[in-house]
Amino acid sequence: MRPPPGRQPLSKEFIAQHQRARIIAALAEETVTQGYRAVTVADIVRRAGIARNTFYDNFSSKEDCFLAASEFGATEALRRVAAAAAEFDTWPARVNAGLAAFLHHVATEPALARTCIVEALSAGPAAVERYERSIQSFVQLFRLGRKVSPQGEELPDTLEETIVGGLFWIIYQRIVIGQVGQIEELLPELVEFSLTPYIGAEAAKRVAAEQPRTTAG
Amino acid sequence: MAPDPDLPPEQAAEYPPELSRLPPGRHGLPREFVAHNQRERLIAGLAEAIAENGYSGTTIAHITRHAAVSRRTFYEHFSSKDECFVAAYDTVMTKLRERVGEAFDGADDWPHAVKAGIAAMLRFLAAEPNLARLCMVEALVAGPVVVERYDAAIQSFVPYFQSGREGRSQEILARLSPTTEEALVGGMMSLISRRIIAGRTAELEILLPDLVEFTLSPYLGSDEAARVAREG
Repeated sequence: MRPPPGRQPLSKEFIAQHQRARIIAALAEETVTQGYRAVTVADIVRRAGIARNTFYDNFSSKEDCFLAASEFGATEALRRVAAAAAEFDTWPARVNAGLAAFLHHVATEPALARTCIVEALSAGPAAVERYERSIQSFVQLFRLGRKVSPQGEELPDTLEETIVGGLFWIIYQRIVIGQVGQIEELLPELVEFSLTPYIGAEAAKRVAAEQPRTTAG
Repeated sequence: MAPDPDLPPEQAAEYPPELSRLPPGRHGLPREFVAHNQRERLIAGLAEAIAENGYSGTTIAHITRHAAVSRRTFYEHFSSKDECFVAAYDTVMTKLRERVGEAFDGADDWPHAVKAGIAAMLRFLAAEPNLARLCMVEALVAGPVVVERYDAAIQSFVPYFQSGREGRSQEILARLSPTTEEALVGGMMSLISRRIIAGRTAELEILLPDLVEFTLSPYLGSDEAARVAREG
């Protein structure tokens, strides 16, 4: 491919990065269309509009590509959550902003979300392990709430795991029933659900009533 | 589901009858009973094979070896591994729901009914690690037919929690949202699955107080929920 005149030719790294992203997007789209089990490398190659060799330059197998998609989706989600949360000073406001950014990400990248949140659970032990690590990252973020909670360490040990599990179940369900586009409407109730154990129902409701989306979008 | 009249009562009490093994040393059984029992043995064989190899790694040869039946017998009962899995999944979930339902209905009030129901679920899963893995972890790997059943099974626990709204004050009801129960059930099931994946199925019952406090708090407030959770 010739670079356009008057521009620096694209670096090999840039092209490689771009190709990977394109292949990952193709895998996610094919996964949504036919379910992960049925997807073949040929489907991915066709959807991405690349040569079969290019696929194998980047990934060793369909499974390898799926793991890269999971990795990309999870890393990107956490990056957005962290960026949105960083705009606020208090932990409850950070949760509100972080969850808003997460739901926004899920709603605007439905294929990637389905791949990472629904299909990952059936894509073999390595994918399940990657999913588990994402859950664990969110668990750690919620654990910070114990510092602002009057009950602190008296809260049940497994509280964060159940909160994060509950949030992911709601998102999973909305993806499965095809309502992921409206997922952002659930923000206030999910924020309330997540914050109530730490700061009480009234304070949680107040935080949930603030709309952080304008800055997080 | 009524207990299988063909099975010895001591087995029917301890182990889901559909999954019990053919009692040793009994012969000359009526043909119908053997056929019925072969199906059960295949289901138990599937659960064992999956515990060893995972769903994807399990072959029909693994199943028939664990069940000690011929390949031909397998195909007399099921057309594929997937079909055998669906039968196994339905059998286990029916049993689990039955246990939870009985425990829930036997309690004096709603908070204790929730506690009894969760306790029954944890006890069943902890005592049957192969079945626990089958219905809480491998079900998600076993293809769209089972995944749909899994989703429906999880959602079937939602009404137990919804009934906790009855008779609550306006103040409490205002705190609950349309998705509260789904989030509670999802959170509970997610925690249980993660413990099973981590190989800690035998310890599931220690989660009881935490899960009771988590699920009752929205309805009773955290102090009262913690009190019910920690009662003997």
